[in-house]
Amino acid sequence: MPECTNPLWPCAMTGAAACLAGFDGITVIIHGSSGCYYYPATLLHAPLRGTFIVEEDVIFGSEQRLLEVVGEVSSSSQRIAVVTTCVPAILGEDIRAILAAHDIIFIDSPGFSGDFEQGYRSALLALKPLIDPGVKGINIDGASLFDPFSRGNILELSRLLANAGVAVATVYSMDTRAKVWQASPFTITTNEDIASGVGTKIGSTLGLDELKTTFEKIVTVVKEAHIDPVIKEIEQEEERINHACDKYLRRFDPPRAAIFSWSSYAVFAAKSLATYLDAEIACVSTRTAPPQAIPYPVQQADGLPQVQALIEAHEPDLVIGSSFERSVITTAAFVGLTPPLRGRVRLTSRPIAGITGTLCFMEEVLNACMDRK
Amino acid sequence: MSSSPLPSNTSRFGGCTLTGALSVTTSVRDSISIVHGPKGCSHHNFSLLHTIALENDALSIPSVHASGLLEGDIIFGGEAALERALAECASLRPKCIFVLSTCIAETIGDDVGAVCGMDWGVPVIAVPTAGFLGGVFQNGVLNALCALSDGTYPVPSDGTVNIIGEKNLEYEVEENYREVSRLLSALGLHVNLRFIHQISYDEIPVLGRASVNVLRDEDIAPVGDHLKARLDTPYVESFPVGLAGTIRFLELVADACGVSSHPAVQDERAVQEDLRADFSDLAGARIVLPSLGVSAIDRGVVGEVATALDMKITSDGSCVPLPLSPPIGTGGIRRMLHRWRRMIHA
Repeated sequence: MPECTNPLWPCAMTGAAACLAGFDGITVIIHGSSGCYYYPATLLHAPLRGTFIVEEDVIFGSEQRLLEVVGEVSSSSQRIAVVTTCVPAILGEDIRAILAAHDIIFIDSPGFSGDFEQGYRSALLALKPLIDPGVKGINIDGASLFDPFSRGNILELSRLLANAGVAVATVYSMDTRAKVWQASPFTITTNEDIASGVGTKIGSTLGLDELKTTFEKIVTVVKEAHIDPVIKEIEQEEERINHACDKYLRRFDPPRAAIFSWSSYAVFAAKSLATYLDAEIACVSTRTAPPQAIPYPVQQADGLPQVQALIEAHEPDLVIGSSFERSVITTAAFVGLTPPLRGRVRLTSRPIAGITGTLCFMEEVLNACMDRK
Repeated sequence: MSSSPLPSNTSRFGGCTLTGALSVTTSVRDSISIVHGPKGCSHHNFSLLHTIALENDALSIPSVHASGLLEGDIIFGGEAALERALAECASLRPKCIFVLSTCIAETIGDDVGAVCGMDWGVPVIAVPTAGFLGGVFQNGVLNALCALSDGTYPVPSDGTVNIIGEKNLEYEVEENYREVSRLLSALGLHVNLRFIHQISYDEIPVLGRASVNVLRDEDIAPVGDHLKARLDTPYVESFPVGLAGTIRFLELVADACGVSSHPAVQDERAVQEDLRADFSDLAGARIVLPSLGVSAIDRGVVGEVATALDMKITSDGSCVPLPLSPPIGTGGIRRMLHRWRRMIHA
């Protein structure tokens, strides 16, 4: 059912804005009211523009106002993208025709059309990414201004690729505008839920096994790659994780975990906890479409009451999720994995992907569980 | 540039009536607020309210229910979606349900009033909102406060004070309330009702018992007038702002409640003397106000405080920060001066 209490995930308009605003060189105009503008502007920390339509624009048409704002922004060298909100989308105005005289990317992605990732994909599709067979290196995708781990993920994968002698081609969607159309034929992903679909997917970078498999495939498509330093680092760091988790298990029982996140992050968390801590995965609840065929009970949850019900039913002693989950747990340990992560100071760019991503995640899990004991 | 929400161009940037109304209705703890619109509108607002609750160490989570309009509802009408939402919320037996419409529900012409008027077994209060089509954030606040007061009636006054229209999304909301409570206590008065800040629905009928309503600021005057007409309760138009303003606040409230202000005023003057002594090291400091977002009230307070502490407002001194709203009472000025001292000595 579409109705729910305390919905936990942003709308398609926010997804489109998150995708486009991640590219340096694109100015995003939210075509809607100030109320619709403020949420993505504060969530994404990006310099968005808005038409800030008012009642008279609805009565007499929003064309003049839209063109006025486009005219203001056109003076810069930025490419302009216009994202519609709910009311302009149903006014019956032909916004494509209104904007026809301008070189503008138009995204019809009103909030009622779906969730965050639908808007994100629509926006990326509208950019018409191109592969340049001559471009060396590997694309990284699954990055978004919405995800507090994206910046850390990019830094971590750039480091690992550099250690393997492989260049980073395009990062979808946190890069320069020009790179949208200069992608490599090959892509590794940090978050399958917002995968770009650009190039041949080599593999995931969430979890050490997946990372190792991905780098072993990289060497088959990038001949000059030398992945030994990365493989060696994976093995060394995994040993450190094993040691720390083994020490934990000498004194404590494995946690009983409830996981709430994007589908791909949730699977990563479940596998990591089961592998390193022999944890019981009481439930996996996804914000996005649930994954296929994983050996854990899984369901999609839209609203906070569903989350509360799952936590009450399973009585986990470890909860992985967002600040929404943190606000409804009583005694369980908590680790933040899912946006939004409010109410905590975050100054560093922590990753979830790559070697450091797994290290950071398991470090937080162990410390949270030990603090709870 | 009018596509940026700069303080110099505010005509289009007043925010959403829905957010303003929700900042009030979600503060009735045992209620549910239904947002009749797409799920995204509810998420945006719930996320904002949740963040504010975390920042203010609030223990309760706002309850915002989405009717979740989809494309089909927008084509064929969304009243059935609202009925489903009301049925589901009514089954949870809250003390009351607020229904707030959005710009999309307004545009497609849903008759929200008719759906709310059906028998749901619990009080259902329709708050006129309609997103940006209903005005701006402040209109939502005013509409919600007036709608909530419409079920109240005059009762004999008991010498207490109501606090009306607190800015529930304000970071310093509790500190400002404590400062006003401190001043009221100095007059021997206590608060009857925080209308509306973290109260239960059953508390609302006592609204008419107070001898005076203290409004958060002048923007709440329409609610003050509404309550004056409905309950015959006079009002003081703002929380205390400035050193002299704090003394004046004591005198106004005392007059309205028929008590003497003299002892409280004497005590507060002593508190303000202590303040001057504590920040005497700032004498001679040259300060600059921020270039944008400084209201006439801010300028008045800054000028008064600078004069009291022998500081100079110049164009080449230390740029001092101001609270988003003018500082409340002597306590608010003290917190502001700590921030100034940090900048002056940086």
